[in-house]
Amino acid sequence: MHFVANKLKKYFMKRISASLTALVLCSVVYTGCTKDPVSNLTEEESRIYITDHDSAVNFSNYSTYSISDSVVVVDNGNANHESNAVDQAYITAVKKYMNNAGYTLVSKSDNPDLGVDVTHIINTSTGVISYGDYWDYYGGYWDPYYWGYPDYSYYVPYGYSVYQVKEGALSVDILDLKNAAKNNNINVIWTGLIRGSGILNANVADSQVKALFDQSSYLHK
Amino acid sequence: MKHLKIIIPSLLIMLCFTLPAAAQNQPLKLELNYNYSMPTGHFKNDIVSNNSPRGFMGSLMYPFSAQWSAGLAYGFQDYYQKYSRALYHLSNSQDISAVLSNSIQETPILLKAKYFPAVKSFLKPYLSLAAGGNIIDYKQYYGEFGSSQSNFGFRAEGGLGVLIPFKKTGTSGLNIGATYDYAPYHKNGFTDLNSINLQAGIELQLR
Repeated sequence: MHFVANKLKKYFMKRISASLTALVLCSVVYTGCTKDPVSNLTEEESRIYITDHDSAVNFSNYSTYSISDSVVVVDNGNANHESNAVDQAYITAVKKYMNNAGYTLVSKSDNPDLGVDVTHIINTSTGVISYGDYWDYYGGYWDPYYWGYPDYSYYVPYGYSVYQVKEGALSVDILDLKNAAKNNNINVIWTGLIRGSGILNANVADSQVKALFDQSSYLHK
Repeated sequence: MKHLKIIIPSLLIMLCFTLPAAAQNQPLKLELNYNYSMPTGHFKNDIVSNNSPRGFMGSLMYPFSAQWSAGLAYGFQDYYQKYSRALYHLSNSQDISAVLSNSIQETPILLKAKYFPAVKSFLKPYLSLAAGGNIIDYKQYYGEFGSSQSNFGFRAEGGLGVLIPFKKTGTSGLNIGATYDYAPYHKNGFTDLNSINLQAGIELQLR
């Protein structure tokens, strides 16, 4: 009887060990057999450039623009103006490509046709914000008073992206100041969003902004 | 879905150790094959054009006679393709410039039948037919930002190959074969994940 019990014990132990080995092997095979798309990207390849615009607007109807001398950093729902080397590199790059597009930089007090804001979005408290959520708070980040329209609201005539923003992003927005009085709103007529690894680097600012303008062939005087 | 893909093959391997005792007269056969997959048609043109060297196919077969056997087949294949940066129009006014990556993992679970027309020859050619389900994990990335979805679909395959026995009278041996897999996939504007597969591996008699 004891001999039979030992035989049975050995029989089942052998099979349990084999099954556990099988389970481990299968896990290893699945992990080893799958190529991870994200780890197979360079920093440059990780980046995306999203642009959106009001398709009813003719951008050649505008001549002058002004740009804020600082960047708004939206960090976990709090907004602060900042002006470090990276911010200045982005502002310089935006000026360069706005000028290349045929627009003339003027002082804010010279009634520019367009206002340009650069915003650095870090995170929300939940860790996930959508492109649309960012716009919901835009008036709080960029006070319309700055552009000389204290009682106005912002209006975005085009749809929001479905992409979710989890960490850092940089946004360039062009505002229609020329028709603000007529529209009773400051219309946001163009938005460019840069997302991905290594974008907060002064050395890459020019190429990042260039990418936004390159894919917006309609954006010119 | 992810756990299923580990639990099902583990159960199959457990069966390999338990069923032979219950099938004393006709021992079960275990087939383990490396699988090299080549997407065809729509799958190749619109989703992943790269061939996939990352896969395997295994089956546990019961021989009803010298010519016929049937059983359960299980496999895994990983497909991946990274496309050069391009501009995609998401709507009338919205554009996105991105490096697009498509990643697909297929896990077929099939009922399979195999026919050996020339059992007396040393090299044993065979034909096979299989049908069943297909667990599909599809991930698409714009840059490093992705979305994923899992689906379960139909899958059928027809194949042919040859078994090269280790011994003149043995039934275990090396297997070399090819299959054509039909896998409809009506999601995200796609129609199918059809592929041609080359397989090489071993066929063992379990006792």
